[in-house]
Amino acid sequence: MPERVTEHRRIAALGGVYANAEALAAVLADARRRDAEAVFCLGDLGGFGPHPDRVFPLLHEHDVRVVRGNYDEAVAAAAADCNCGYTDPRDNHYARVSYTYTVAHTSAVNRAWLATLPGHRRVRLGAHRVLMCHGSPRRINEFLWESTTPDGLLRRLLAEHEADVLLCTHTGLKWRRALDGGAGHAVNVGVVGRPENDGTPRVWYALLTAEPDLAVQFVPVAYDHEATARAIEAEGLPPEFAETLRSGWWTTCLENLPSRERARGRF
Amino acid sequence: MSAVRVEEVATPRAPFVALSALWLVLTGTLCNLRCTHCLNASGPDEPWLAPLDGAAARRAIADAERLGVREIYLTGGEPFLHREILPLLERCLAVAATTVLTNGTVMTDALADALADLARASRYSLEIRVSLDAPDAVANDRVRGAGTWQRAVRTIQALDVRGLLPIVTATEIAGGPATYDRFRALLTGLGIAKPRVKILPVFPVGRAVGASGARLSEAELDGFDRSTLQCAETRAVATDGVYACPILAGLPEARLSDGDLAAALRPAPLYHAACVTCHRTGATCRNA
Repeated sequence: MPERVTEHRRIAALGGVYANAEALAAVLADARRRDAEAVFCLGDLGGFGPHPDRVFPLLHEHDVRVVRGNYDEAVAAAAADCNCGYTDPRDNHYARVSYTYTVAHTSAVNRAWLATLPGHRRVRLGAHRVLMCHGSPRRINEFLWESTTPDGLLRRLLAEHEADVLLCTHTGLKWRRALDGGAGHAVNVGVVGRPENDGTPRVWYALLTAEPDLAVQFVPVAYDHEATARAIEAEGLPPEFAETLRSGWWTTCLENLPSRERARGRF
Repeated sequence: MSAVRVEEVATPRAPFVALSALWLVLTGTLCNLRCTHCLNASGPDEPWLAPLDGAAARRAIADAERLGVREIYLTGGEPFLHREILPLLERCLAVAATTVLTNGTVMTDALADALADLARASRYSLEIRVSLDAPDAVANDRVRGAGTWQRAVRTIQALDVRGLLPIVTATEIAGGPATYDRFRALLTGLGIAKPRVKILPVFPVGRAVGASGARLSEAELDGFDRSTLQCAETRAVATDGVYACPILAGLPEARLSDGDLAAALRPAPLYHAACVTCHRTGATCRNA
């Protein structure tokens, strides 16, 4: 069946919900206020946060169109691990704790829904052909960090996948790049489930508008992070997860950061 | 007399998926140290694999850029012994994130300053991996030579103080499941605020070749996704040709082309005992 490509003038794109329902609710409300015609989520609904089932009603209520992340794929199949792509033992320890909890607390109905999610989505934003994926178009758990994603690779991915704009997430850190005078664009939309490793608890999503040139705006959103942090503690999840939400500094799963991105954080 | 049927056992191959990582075996096997388990038996004597000519390195970098390479690694031997290391590193960093694998014993303050300048000027990340074999001097120097631990530690601190956040790379020769934690503790004890540690298995190649006759077979690989092997996305350019794997560079059976990178983008034979280690451990020589 041919892929249905919807057309828009303005969309919101968000990544990595990580079972942070409070942040998701705040971001969705903000996107509506800013006249986003449609909201897209680039996957990883669970992980780190408490009560993963709480994000699903919000997604349905706001008609959020979701792309499958590596976490969603793993939870749907109750796979052995989250396939986050970590190679560091410390990263893998925290990933295991988080994943075990998430699988155990995601209902069968929601797991079945995760299994239906597409691996990518395409839309038209004005004249721009937009391709959405989780990690990269070629691998669901590829980390496209700003400092390790060369222009040559982006050009190749855009050409191979017949797109003008690539949207991804997975790393947790937002960035954007225009190529060849605006002929191509790459946008890592960041995540809404945990802060930006910048010392503030706010989270970020991306607003993309065809004006008709592509305009990309990263939008910071404050939310009741204290409520999520308390719920993490109440669920017996690692206190480091709660600390990150409160302080805005990543405390776990940062061993695979490239030096440029690692240098910006506290740990 | 009954006929004896001899079945030829085919060497399994890894597919070529994409050129994600380009390795330049910059100094061949020229090194100032002679570690007891060195993967390619490097040393200070006449190297059995000669250094890569600067022009050949630049050609490979340009070819890799056209192919959409994701990251570049400079290795050897000891890459900081290459006479063109800094201009080549600058060229690499104009193309992609670049990592230098060093033993950490030839670093000077001037070199560390130059590396910090290159890192600041580049839009892509510069990573320096410093090899150690034990978190204590006695055990480390037994493998790498007298005084090497102290010099490497000084390099780690010199890089860290300049914001370069070196990755300490160790082999499991140090022993025990707590290897990773011990190296992290070493770095923390040195005042490194953002300790980075990578542990690699010992590969049966070079001076650690041993007597392993193990080889991968098609039967063993049945059901295994070979595209996850690093040789599916890696090519290593050495002075005498292009290889699918940096640790097999220089071995004739591993050579995929005589120097043309594009001609080496084809399936690679999984013929060596080191391929068994890669398959068994899921190891990657890449940073992550």
